[in-house]
Amino acid sequence: MQNYALFTDTDTDITPEIAREYGYHVISMPYCLDGKTIYPYEDFEVFDAKPFYDMLRAGTLTTTSSISEEKYKAYFEPVLAAGQDILYLHFSRALSATFEIMDRVLPELREKYPERKILTFDLKSATTLSLLMIHEAGAMYKDGKSADEILAWAENEVDHFAMYMFVDDLKFFKRSGRVTGLAATMGTMLGIRPMIHISSEGKLVNIGKIKGRTKALEQLVNYVEELGDDLENHRMIIGNSDAGEMVDDLLAMLRERFGDKIQIEISMVNPTLGSHCGPNGIGVAFHAIHR
Amino acid sequence: MNTTTMNGTLYARMVRNGAVNLHKNREIVNDLNVFPIPDGDTGDNMFMTMNSGAAAVKNVEDLTLEEMSSKVSGGMLLGARGNSGVILSRIFAGIAKGFRGSKEADVRDVAAAFECGVTESYGAVSVPVEGTILTVYRDAVRYAGSRIREDSTLEEYFEDFMTELRASLDRTPELLEVLKEAGVVDSGGAGLVYIAEGMKIALEGADLESEGGESAKAAPAVDISSFTKDSVLEFGYCTEFLLRLQSSKTNVDAFDENELKAYLGSIGESVVAVKEDSIVKVHVHTMHPGEVLDHCQKYGEFLTMKIENMMLQHNAKIAQSSVEIKPRKPHKPYAIVTVASGEGIKETFASLGADVVIDGGQSMNPSAESFIEAFESLNADTILVFPNNSNIILTAKQAASLYEGSDVRVIGNKTIGEGYAAISMLDTSSGDTDAILAEIDEIIASVITGTVSKASRDTEKDGVAVRSGDYIGFVGDTIYVDSPSATEAALTLAKDLHAEEYDVMLLICGKDPDPADAESLFAELKQTYKRTEIIMIDGGQPVFDYLMILE
Repeated sequence: MQNYALFTDTDTDITPEIAREYGYHVISMPYCLDGKTIYPYEDFEVFDAKPFYDMLRAGTLTTTSSISEEKYKAYFEPVLAAGQDILYLHFSRALSATFEIMDRVLPELREKYPERKILTFDLKSATTLSLLMIHEAGAMYKDGKSADEILAWAENEVDHFAMYMFVDDLKFFKRSGRVTGLAATMGTMLGIRPMIHISSEGKLVNIGKIKGRTKALEQLVNYVEELGDDLENHRMIIGNSDAGEMVDDLLAMLRERFGDKIQIEISMVNPTLGSHCGPNGIGVAFHAIHR
Repeated sequence: MNTTTMNGTLYARMVRNGAVNLHKNREIVNDLNVFPIPDGDTGDNMFMTMNSGAAAVKNVEDLTLEEMSSKVSGGMLLGARGNSGVILSRIFAGIAKGFRGSKEADVRDVAAAFECGVTESYGAVSVPVEGTILTVYRDAVRYAGSRIREDSTLEEYFEDFMTELRASLDRTPELLEVLKEAGVVDSGGAGLVYIAEGMKIALEGADLESEGGESAKAAPAVDISSFTKDSVLEFGYCTEFLLRLQSSKTNVDAFDENELKAYLGSIGESVVAVKEDSIVKVHVHTMHPGEVLDHCQKYGEFLTMKIENMMLQHNAKIAQSSVEIKPRKPHKPYAIVTVASGEGIKETFASLGADVVIDGGQSMNPSAESFIEAFESLNADTILVFPNNSNIILTAKQAASLYEGSDVRVIGNKTIGEGYAAISMLDTSSGDTDAILAEIDEIIASVITGTVSKASRDTEKDGVAVRSGDYIGFVGDTIYVDSPSATEAALTLAKDLHAEEYDVMLLICGKDPDPADAESLFAELKQTYKRTEIIMIDGGQPVFDYLMILE
C-alpha cells in the first residue's frame, strides 16, 4: 500500500468501477432535484443516464451545490488519522465555488495533522477531459509512483490534454452561466451549435458556432487531427450526455480518420455536470499539443 | 396645341398625370407576371415610385425646370420599390441631370435630357438585361430623338416617343426568353407606356383625375361633417412633423429640444419633442399650428408634416404617426438590416442578430426610403444588408448609394433561406469586411431554399403542368412539382432536392397552412429523413406556404 491516498471527485466522470481499478478515493459532488441534494454513487450505485437526461429533456431542471466543510472532513480525516498523506486531483476550480469551502478546511486539517501532507492539484478540467487524466494518473498510482512523481507529471501534462464539445440545446449552459463567450446573439439554436472547449484556465469557453450535427461532429474530428499528439500511446474518450446515435457516428468517424490502433472509450457525463450542459452534448478528449 | 417649351410647372403636371394614368392601369401591369405566383407587383411598385415623385411637387408652383425635375427625382429615388421602380427612378434622375441649369427646355433639350435618362438607367444595374424597361425606354428616346425636325413640337416628339415605346414593348418577348415562354410583354416596359401616355395627355392640356388611389394616400378619409360653420374649435389641431435642423439656421449639435418643448408647452399640450441627430420629431396639440410651424422653421426645414383638426373623426389607421423615430442604438462596428414579412420570420431574424428587420418581401417590396430609415436608426460603421428577394436587391443598393452615414454593403441574396443561413452563422469579430463578405458568399452558395406556394395561373414550365390554385414547389426559377396539396408538394420537393444529403432542414411554415397539416408534414419529413436534423418554425409569412431551407 502506498503511503498516500489518491483522491478525485465525481465531476471527473469517474465511476466506482474505475475508482476500484486504480484505488481512488472519490468525493461525491452533488446535484439538486426538487430540493433534494443527491450525491452520485453515494445515494445511488449506478448512474442511469438515460432517465436522468430524459428528465432534463422533459423540462425538469437540476442545480448543483458545493459540499460542506463537514463533508470534506469526513472524506479526508479518516485517511489522515490512519497515517496516510493525501493527493487530491480535482476538477476545475474555475467551475465551482466548492473549492473555497475546501480552502477553509485544509489549513485546519494540516494543523491537526502536522505530520501529514495534503496535496491538491487542479486538473483545470471536468468531465471527460479530467477523466482522461484520472486514468493516466491512476495507472501511475497503481504502478507505485510517488505523489511527487504524479504531481510532476500532472504539472507537465495538464496542458497536453484537450477537449472539444458541443451541445444541442444551449439553454442549460445559458442558465448555469458556466460557459464564457457565448455570443449574445445566440438566442435561437435552429440547428446551430456552439463549439466549446476547456481552456488552460479550466474554463468552458465558446470558440465558435457550427450548423448541423454532421458538420459539428466533423469539426470535432478535425480538432483531434489538428491538435492530436502521440495519440497511439494515450486513450481518447468520447464524452456524452446521452447523445444517442451521435456517439456511434463520432466513433465511426474517429475510427475512419485514425484507424483501429487508437484506444477510444465512451463515457457518460456525470449528472452534476450534466445539470450544466444538458442532454445531447458530445465531445472528445484526447492527448494534444495544447488545449 | 403646339407646345415648344417645357417649364417646371408643365413638367410637374406631366409627372402627376403619368402617375395617375399608371394608377388607372396598374392592374394590367400587375398581371404581366412571368412566374406563376403572386409577387411584388410591378404596376404597384412603379406607381408608388412615380407617385413619390408626384408627391414631391404636389402644390409646388413656379419652380424652374431644373428645380422641379430635381424634386421629382429626389422623391422617386427615395420612394423607389422593386427593380422596375428603381430603374424608373433612375430614368427620372437622369432626366433631372439633363435639365440641370435649365429654366425651361425646347424639344431638343428635352430629347437630350431624356437621353441622360438612358445613360443613368443603364448605369443602375450591373448587368443590363435587354427586353426590359431599359430597352423600351432607350428605343423610344432614340427613335423620337431621330425624328426631331426644325419645327417639331413637344406634342409631336411625344407622339413619336409613344409610338416607339409601344413597338419596343411588343418586341420584348423576342429579346427575353422568359417573357416569350410566359406569353407576356415586359411589365416594367408596360408600366412606362402608361406613364408616358399620362404625360402626353398633360402636354395636350388635360389633367387626369386620380381615381382616389393617389389622393387617398395624400388625404385620409375624414368625416368633415363633425365640424360645421357654427362649430367652435375646442380641441385644436394635432400637429406632428419631422424637422430637419439646418446648419445654416442653428447650431445643429447644440440645439436643445428642451427649449423647444418649453415653447411648445406655452402654446399647446401633449408636447413631444425628440431630437435624433439633426432630426427633431415634434408632436403638439395646439390651437395655432401656424405659429408652431413659423417658430420651428427658424431652426430648420420640415421633412414630413401632419396637421389634423381634432374635432373630426379621423381614420384611426391614418391618425397613427407615419414616421417613427426610435432612439439611436449604441454604436457597433457591424449592423445587420434585413427584409422579411411574417412575425415568426421577423422574430427569428431578430434573435439571430439582425438589428432591423424591414417589413416586406415577395408581395410587398419596401422602398429605398425604408432602407434609409433603417440605416439612420443604426449607429454602425458598416451595415450589412440582406434583401432576401431578387426584386429588393436593387432598391437596397439604391438606398445604400443615397446614404452616407455608414459603409453600407448590400448582399445580393435572393431568398429568405440564404439570409437565414448567412445571418445565423455570421461572425464579424475579425473586423475584416471583405473577408466577412467572402464568408457570407460561401455560406449562401451552399444553401438551397425550396419554396411551396400557391400558383396564381395556369402555365407549363420546366416540364411541369401548373394549374392555378395548385401548389408548386420550386427553387429559384425552376419548378419541380405541382400538386393540389401543399403537403404533397413539400414532400415531393424534399425528395427532388435530396433532403437526405443535407445536415439540417429548416422548415418555415407560412400563415396559410393549417397548423395540423404543418405538424403532419413535419412528422412525415422527420420520419423520412432520419439523418437530417429537421426543425420547423412558424414563420407566419404570406405567399410562401412553406420555405424549406437545406444546408
